[in-house]
Amino acid sequence: MSSETDVAVVGAGMIDFGELFEQSIDDMLAAAFRDCLDDVDKGMSPADVDAAWFGTIDIADNASSGLGLSHPTGLFEMPVTRVENACATGSSAFRSAVESVRAGNTDVALVAGAEKMRDSAAGLIEGAALDQVWRGRGVTMPAFFGLRATRHMEEYGTTREQIAKISVKNHENGAKYPHAHYRFTCDVDDVVDSPQVTYPLNLYDCCPVTDGAAATLVVSEDVVDEFTDDPIWVAGSGLSVDSFERGNDESLVGFPATEQAAGQAYEQAGITADDIDVAEVHDCFTITELVTYEDLGFCEKGDGGAFIDSGEPLLDGETPVNPSGGLLAKGHPIGATGVAQVNEIYEQLRGEAGAVQADNDPEYGLQHNIGIGRNATGSVSCVNILSRQR
Amino acid sequence: MFEPPYTRTRAANERLRAHECDACGWVSFPEQPQFCKRCGVDASWSETRLHPRGTVRSYVVQQRLPEEFETPLPLAVMDMPQEESGEPARVYGLFTETDPADIEIGMEAEGVFRRVFDVAGLPIHSFKFTRPRGDRL
Ligand SMILES: [Zn+2]
Repeated sequence: MSSETDVAVVGAGMIDFGELFEQSIDDMLAAAFRDCLDDVDKGMSPADVDAAWFGTIDIADNASSGLGLSHPTGLFEMPVTRVENACATGSSAFRSAVESVRAGNTDVALVAGAEKMRDSAAGLIEGAALDQVWRGRGVTMPAFFGLRATRHMEEYGTTREQIAKISVKNHENGAKYPHAHYRFTCDVDDVVDSPQVTYPLNLYDCCPVTDGAAATLVVSEDVVDEFTDDPIWVAGSGLSVDSFERGNDESLVGFPATEQAAGQAYEQAGITADDIDVAEVHDCFTITELVTYEDLGFCEKGDGGAFIDSGEPLLDGETPVNPSGGLLAKGHPIGATGVAQVNEIYEQLRGEAGAVQADNDPEYGLQHNIGIGRNATGSVSCVNILSRQR
Repeated sequence: MFEPPYTRTRAANERLRAHECDACGWVSFPEQPQFCKRCGVDASWSETRLHPRGTVRSYVVQQRLPEEFETPLPLAVMDMPQEESGEPARVYGLFTETDPADIEIGMEAEGVFRRVFDVAGLPIHSFKFTRPRGDRL
């Protein structure tokens, strides 16, 4: 494996997430790309880019191929590939770019993700396959994740209040994060008393519907010096799929796909979960983050409630999780979500995360997405690990 | 008069027909499979039938849905046993005619034949679940 090229992140850009009716997907992508180029320490121009990966599930039907990125950015006469992998779309696009650079095929790769969520709310309902018989029959997103919450409470004694604490934590972080869609704080009572969406989940257990775009630049070790003296390295990556239909009881209280993807990423990085200092994980719903603590190995199976009680994932805790406010506060523009998470880990490891900077001098940071697909029976997870040391 | 996808799954929807992997015993429902989803083998399959009384493994109660759906709408992950021996199939089940407060993990639920929805004005029938008669709290 020594012939592989080391891969560095040298730039991160994003727009303020929110309800952005005045911006098209092209507007959002161009702004995120410009912000990303401007972020490169020694500068970068579009002509430096050799290849690009574009993450979008195209929920508003306006991007369909790699051309959806070429048009707003002017990146033509090069490989541009659209990636779609449910809610792991952005992280899968990042992983695809990293693999190309690692293999020696690309020196400078752009990863861009974008989603116009507010233009077409119906897409979410269709995506949940409400009209299928048996498989995915009447299953919405809150139902898919809520099923894990009901079972987790029954099997492990996890409390409603412990689940609510995830929302309290992430909104507290989001209130300090300049790009977040929602910048309010709430307490456990606010979450528990908010309107019920799908028992056992309430409104404040759910991420908002948000427009957004983000971009990241990854380069090979051969050219990294041209762009920065302070790169962040990609230490490992993993991706896996699974389905609860396969009969594994763990899939009723979590997501085996996350365990599998994390296992691949830890192995490639040569580390364990204990080495992770800061993480951006998929909190589309509060319960998703709680079970992800367990699936990533931050705590034992069943101990997710105790883990949030301990304060370890708080911003001033031992392993801050979702310093950016997570999907719950920042928003979840699907194609952009994973890219923005990578960006946040990059800034955390560079010590440039401002008001939400982890104060534990982080060496290793982890980014995680979990998505659902195939009529709401399957899940796909992607995990990427960044490191300050090469 | 069924659209093609519903024609293909009609035996599953209407008679609970399923298929058991001869290599590992995993039960596929409603699809008629070729490769096994659990053991990955290009398996041979034995036709089997599910019993309409299954067990709730987890559940939610959906409150916010498009207006063509009744709410509150309970939904469960069910294990449905085979009529004969072998492993159960793990499937989604919509509930009907059941007070959400009466649903709990581990309870048995009875599949009853109901109109599930319409396609182009034509009704599609399949099973929904209820708390079994004579089993009221
Ligand atoms: Zn098998």
